[in-house]
Formats: sequence, structure tokens, C-alpha cells
Amino acid sequence: MDNKKIISIFLLLAFMIFPVYVSAAKGVTEKGGDSKVTQMCLACHSDKALSKKLMNKEILPLYIESNEFAKSVHGKVGCSGCHPNITLDNHPQVKKIKSKSEYSASVSRACSVCHTAEQLRKRQPIHTSLAAKGTCVECHGSHFIKGMAAAKAGVKENQYCLTCHRNRISMAMKNGESLSVYVDELMIKNSAHGKLQCIDCHKNFSKTAHPIRSFNSRREYSIVNSELCWKCHAEPFKKYEVSSHLEQLKKGNTKAPTCTDCHGDHAMAGTKNNKNIGLTSCNACHADMNSSFEASVHGKARKKGDEKAPVCSSCHNAHDITSTAMTTKIKDGCLKCHKDAGKLHSKWLWNPPISLPTFAAAHFDVVSCATCHSTGAKPAFILSISDRKTGKPISEEELLKILDTDADRLMAKIDTNGNSIIDAKEVWDLFAVLFQKGKSTVFMGKMDVRSAKEAHMIGGKADAVRNCEKCHHPEAELFKDEFIAISKSDGTVRFLKAHKDVLNSIYTILPARKFYALGSTSVELFDILFVLALIGGICVPIGHITFRIITSPLRSLRRMGKGGKK
Amino acid sequence: MQRIFLHSIWVRIWHWVNLAAFIILIITGAQIKMGDKLNLFSFETAVNIHSWLGFILIGNYFIWVVYYLVTGNIKIYIPPLHKPIEFAKKALIQAKFYGYGIMVGDDNPHHPTFYNKFNPMQQVSYLMIMVALIPLQLITGLFLWDPNLFGPAVNLIGGIQVVDLIHVFLWIFFSAFMIVHFYLATLGHTPMAHIIAMFKGYEEIHEENGHGHDEGHGHDEGHGDTHPKEHSH
Repeated sequence: MDNKKIISIFLLLAFMIFPVYVSAAKGVTEKGGDSKVTQMCLACHSDKALSKKLMNKEILPLYIESNEFAKSVHGKVGCSGCHPNITLDNHPQVKKIKSKSEYSASVSRACSVCHTAEQLRKRQPIHTSLAAKGTCVECHGSHFIKGMAAAKAGVKENQYCLTCHRNRISMAMKNGESLSVYVDELMIKNSAHGKLQCIDCHKNFSKTAHPIRSFNSRREYSIVNSELCWKCHAEPFKKYEVSSHLEQLKKGNTKAPTCTDCHGDHAMAGTKNNKNIGLTSCNACHADMNSSFEASVHGKARKKGDEKAPVCSSCHNAHDITSTAMTTKIKDGCLKCHKDAGKLHSKWLWNPPISLPTFAAAHFDVVSCATCHSTGAKPAFILSISDRKTGKPISEEELLKILDTDADRLMAKIDTNGNSIIDAKEVWDLFAVLFQKGKSTVFMGKMDVRSAKEAHMIGGKADAVRNCEKCHHPEAELFKDEFIAISKSDGTVRFLKAHKDVLNSIYTILPARKFYALGSTSVELFDILFVLALIGGICVPIGHITFRIITSPLRSLRRMGKGGKK
Repeated sequence: MQRIFLHSIWVRIWHWVNLAAFIILIITGAQIKMGDKLNLFSFETAVNIHSWLGFILIGNYFIWVVYYLVTGNIKIYIPPLHKPIEFAKKALIQAKFYGYGIMVGDDNPHHPTFYNKFNPMQQVSYLMIMVALIPLQLITGLFLWDPNLFGPAVNLIGGIQVVDLIHVFLWIFFSAFMIVHFYLATLGHTPMAHIIAMFKGYEEIHEENGHGHDEGHGHDEGHGDTHPKEHSH
């Protein structure tokens, strides 16, 4: 074939193809389902390998299954219906897309052209908040949308919810925070609630109801939603009601934990499967205790794989957690496992001639386990001001109110001589003032460690204190540091330094009338009285004998008068 | 010389056990309380001895109670309150003897017999001691021995510190009392007369001292100055 013939055939073909090309190019920019335009798009997008690397290096698949697309509700709309900006002249080959989510948001905006906000709100109110975020495709999908009625028809409750919630949708809080309402189906199936339906917990929601709720913050959402748990878990909640955690929450401390803080939400682990929940969940807030726990005999046993070794909840309880500071409640935590502690202590901690459990118990009442068993701790003697009638410690707030002062001036109010230490007379003055103001008190004594960290440093039996004179001696080591403890509403304790001889005075006999430590709380004045009594006792015979010696001549004379000395 | 039976075997056992226990309890009590000033025993040893002797003293007190109640001789402790003026006069005479008469060589106005052992001063003080102070000391000691076991009673008294306060005050009192008691025991017709009597049961009286039973001033004249059942030889 010569060159002229080849050019002629090429021109003929070009003239034949050109009208088709022009027509197709025109169709892309048109609204309505121009199947030819769609076909042209699909010419490339039916390639399974077609994808685009986004700026954040995510891969955006661009493959469209043509048959499925044709069956979808938008099959008749065609590509140009939702992608009006994509033309042959302006194809995203040149468009820079940051991420999949940005792309989703941008293409979702195209939905609002047909599906107006008002229309969506009327159909399902939750759209109001979701549509504003422009994440239609996250719930509804993109190219294979079959209509919600069809998609949800015959779908079980959970799957109905997951239609939207399996997507990474989120909820906006008033403070600008965003709360993910995405639900990992697999995670929930493996959770303790795997067999439950969504509406078992989310009772206000159903296939026909999806109330719009607004929360100030993610935290508020968690707190409010903890009531979802109570309905089934009434027993633990009853315990939680008396816990210091709920008490803190009621006092406005939003950091105090609710159910989901320890148990998680949809990934709710059952305590039967998660043996560490009583440790790991506590560490989320109380991480500063962990090092001392790990160094303890309990932590070491756990590390070695002893599943019976205690975790936080073993001693502190899981739900009815109350402040252990200045109470003897924590002792019950120890005794849960160490049931024979009384018997074991009674082997050496007893008073002859008979060993009774009450004697060891008397020690347990006023000496915390950690005082003797915490390795390296520095225990102190602590007096706490309690209401005589109820036996409950008087809180700092109550004390400040009665004394008409504030927290900063409390010490100065009690320490009237200004020597920065509370002495016995000042304890008496405080006791008297409280009594005058109608508050009858008892200063309860206790030997304890002063920090929670020290309380966890439990060592082996061999390291425990077993020397009576550590407490029972006028110069006892454990009475060198003495404090007045005042419980604060946040569960912490304020320690006011007291004089080491605060209990060795007649001034504290009445205020601290319920605490006594043989040999160490004795009043020195009585020692002086004892010596004076001995001296007085000796002086009586000495004086009498002296007079008898002086008067002996009188007696001799008298005997002589009776007939002389015999 | 006449021998007067004053102390039955039960009273003598009770007395000497009481004496030994009191002395050791006072000393161990001092050790427990003043560990920084005394170093006779360790705290544990002192507490052990103190507790054992405390219970021995409680048992001993019951010997006293049972003996005096069973024999009916408890009346020797009871002052004749139906004759208060006469009793007061006798007490004054006795006090005058210890303060003055003994110096000038007067005879002791009281002549002890088995049924009239105590002079009015002894009667009042021993009644107080035996019926109030020793029981109080034993009870407070028992409470301090195990404060939890006696918790309700401890609270009724006003708290463990109040119990301790009573116990310590009585410890001080008995310490002084023991010394004075020992001195008064030497004021018989010889310094050892009363003490030997507490061992033997009999006190030897020289006739010329005028301590014959016919001069007895007790309430139970007629019983005489000898043993109520076995006369001295």
C-alpha cells in the first residue's frame, strides 16, 4: 500500500470517530444518565487494578463493578450525576486529594444537590448532625446504594444499626470534641455483650427511633450513658453507689470513673476472661501506685504467673471502693485472702495466760496491715477527728465551717502558739471548741503509713515488724511521727504535724480516750506522781521513826516510873 | 505470855500471795510504763509476768472473798455503822495513838482478836481496799489485758484511756500504801510480832503488856483472844 492510500484511510477513520468522541465528551458534562458517558467512564474504571495514591499515601480504589452500579439506585443517574466536576478536560488525574476521608466529604457534598438537608431531616432526624459533616457515603456507600428501605429490609436490629455504625462516623460535642460512634462488629461479638442486641443497652434507639442528643463533652457522654449499664447490672451499681468514685463524681470531679472507664464500652471485657481488669483499669488513673505494687510480694507473685495473687480490686473491691485513708476498711481487703491472719498473729501476739483472738483483733483495729508489713515504709501515728455519735471522720469542709475558717488558715487556727506543730494543749482546745459548738468528738488513733504508695509496698512475712517495742515503748520508733489527719471531700487526707508527745499528756486523755498503746501513751506526769508517792510512802515511816527516836526518852522515863526498865 | 490466834491458814496464804504479787506487779507495771527510765526486764517479759500475776491476783482475791463469806468473818471488815459516834471516837483514839501515844509509851488502844482483828482505822481503810480499790484495780487490769474482749464495758467507763487512768492512779496509791503498810506492820509489841503472826497465825502477847483477852475492846468479847476453835498452849 502506498503512502497516499494509508493517509486516506486514516483521515476517513478520523472523520468517523470524531463525532462519537465529541458526543461522549459532551455527555459527561450533562446531567442525567447518559449511559454512553457512563460506559466511557467505565471503560477505564472497570479495571480492577485502577486506583489512586492519595497525598497521605492511602490508596483509593477506583474500580467500579458495572453491573452492581447499574442495579443501584443511582444506576440511572450515571457517573456525571454525582461527579459533575469530572470531565474529560478536568479529570482527577490532575486533582490532588489529601485523604480518603477528605475525598468522602467532598463527594458527599454532591449528595446534597439532590438530597436536601430538609428532606433528610424529615426522613431521619439524625441526618441533621451527620449530613452537616458530609459523610453520606460512610453510611450509605457510594456506587452500589440500593436505597435504605431495601438495604434494611429484613435486616436484624444489630445489622440495622451497623448499617451506619460500622462506618467510621463520629458525633460532635458542644465543646468541639468529636466522639467516634463507630462500632467494630467483631469486637462487640467477642465482648461480654456479644450476644446482646444494640437496643438491649441503647434502649431509646430502634429501627424506628434515633433520638438526637447533644452533649457538652465526651466525658459528659460517658457519665450520662453509664445508666445504660445499671439497668442490667443493678447489683454492682448498688455497690458503686456507695463508692468514693461516685461520691467524687457527685461532687463534680468528672475525672472519677464510671462503668465504661474500667470496663470499656463495646469491647466490654468480662471479668471472667480478663483477670487483669482489676489492675489495668485502675492503673489508668492510679498509675503512680503501680511501681510499689509491682515491687510488693503481691506484684511479684502475679508476675510469676500466680493468678490468685491479688490485684487492686482484690483488696479495694471492684465497685464499692471507698477511701482507705484513715479507715480500717482496707484491713478487710487483706483478710479476704489472709483469712487465718488472726490465728497466725495470735500465735505470738497474745497476752498470757490465755490466747484469745480478741487480743490480736485489738491490734488489727488500730494498726493497719501496712504498718508492719510494708517494707521500707515509714509508718506514723495518726489521730483523726471523728464524730462521737456516728464514729465517722469529720471532713475538712465540716471542720472549716465549725471553726469558721478556711483551709489555708486551719493550721494557724489550731496551732494557737504558732510553733507549726500541734501540741497536746492545742488538741484539748480544739476538742473543747468543737464541743462548745455542739460537735462532740473523739480523736481516733491509728498506726498507719502516710501515703498510698507506702501502703502497697507489702513485703514478705520475714520482713514484717514483730517487735512489740516498736510501738510499746515511751520512745517507740513508730510514735516519733505523729499527725492529725483530716479527711477531705476528694478522698484525700490532709496531715497536720503533731508533737510526738501529744498523747503523753493529761490534755489528750479525754479527746483521745479510745486510743491506748501500752507503754507509749503513758502520761509522764503520772510517772512523777509515782515517784512522789514512793518518796511520800518512805517519808511516813522515816518521819514517824524519827519522832519515835526523839521521844524515846519520854517512854524510858515512863517505863522507869512504872518500875524501871525491864 | 499468851498466844492469840489471829490469821487462819487461808488468810495467811492469801496475804503472802497478795504481797508477792503486788510487789512484782508494781515493779513490772513500772517497767511497762517507764521503759525509758527502767531496764529491769524487756517489755515482753514485763507484760508476761504482769499478766500472769494479774490473773493469780484475781484468783487470790476469790480465795479472800470465798473464805470471808463462807466463814461469815467478813464482818471484821465492816465498821459498826450503827454506832457512828462511838466508832469515830475509837478511830480518833487510834489516830491519836499512832500520832502521839506511841511516842510517849501508851499502849495500843486496840487489842486484836480473831473476830476483832482491825482497829477502826484499819477497818475503814481495808474495807475500802478490799471492796473497792483492789476489785477496781483487778477489773481495770483485766480490761487493759484485752480491751476488745471487754469493749462494751471499756466504752461504758469512758474509753480505754480512762480505764488506764484509773489503773495507773491505783498503781501509784498501792505503791505508797505498801510501804506504809509494811511500816505499820512493824508497830507491834516487837517490830516482827505482826509479821511473824502473819506466818504462824498466832501473835505472842506478853501479859504485862496488858493485851489479855479480858481487856479486849472488840465487838466480840467473849470469843477471847485465843483461837476460836483451837486454844493456844
